[in-house]
Amino acid sequence: MTDDERLQQLLRSALAPTSDRQRSRDLWPLVANRIQVRARWSWLDVSLAAVVAIVLLVFPDWLFLLAYHL
Amino acid sequence: MPDQLDADLLRRFVHGDRDAFEALFRQFEVEVYRWSLAIVRDASMAEDVVVEAFWRAHRGRARFDWSRSFGAWMRRITTNVARDHLRAARRRAMWSLPIVNDVSAPAHADSGVAEAVALALRRLPPKLQIVATLAIIEERPYAEIADALELPVGTVKSRVFRAIRALREELARLGLQP
Repeated sequence: MTDDERLQQLLRSALAPTSDRQRSRDLWPLVANRIQVRARWSWLDVSLAAVVAIVLLVFPDWLFLLAYHL
Repeated sequence: MPDQLDADLLRRFVHGDRDAFEALFRQFEVEVYRWSLAIVRDASMAEDVVVEAFWRAHRGRARFDWSRSFGAWMRRITTNVARDHLRAARRRAMWSLPIVNDVSAPAHADSGVAEAVALALRRLPPKLQIVATLAIIEERPYAEIADALELPVGTVKSRVFRAIRALREELARLGLQP
């Protein structure tokens, strides 16, 4: 038996495979709640939107530039 | 994973039908849980992984690849979510919060050795930890691991080799010579 095989055997004997484990509760309600939560704006999104709005108020002509890139 | 799905169920899921999504969840939750538990080896974390993986699947349903099976697609998503959780656990460990490995050792295993092996495994980088766990402990086929990780089989084999080498070094540091 090589060193690698010995190490693999040690791993298998020390740590049990998990194939027969069952989850402790019904997870569907958690998944259903999660998909119902609407995506919220992060602080980064809000900051970026605020910066764009301020820039457009100061330089209204830049709206065309923004529209072109969108 | 069970993959005897009718195309209509998948089509309804892709179009956002919640009942179809729940039917898919019920059909695949056990396998997804087992796959995630095999990777993260913590029951509570595995449940979080399942919820996040199905949420990501729902969010990305429009990108479902019809050339692949739903089971293989879920396995890939679950592997990515599990890897993210392992990385987060590593970051928490750096701030000294303990990572719990609640998958107990077999009854015949020496508890000191089992603890050292579990610790050495947790100290591996997540990408090596995942292949070592799936290939060596869970004895999953290389092709299945490669598919879940979106890697060639050769890369998986090389990662297993690197993981074994890193584990040996880590166990030596812990005073265990395999």
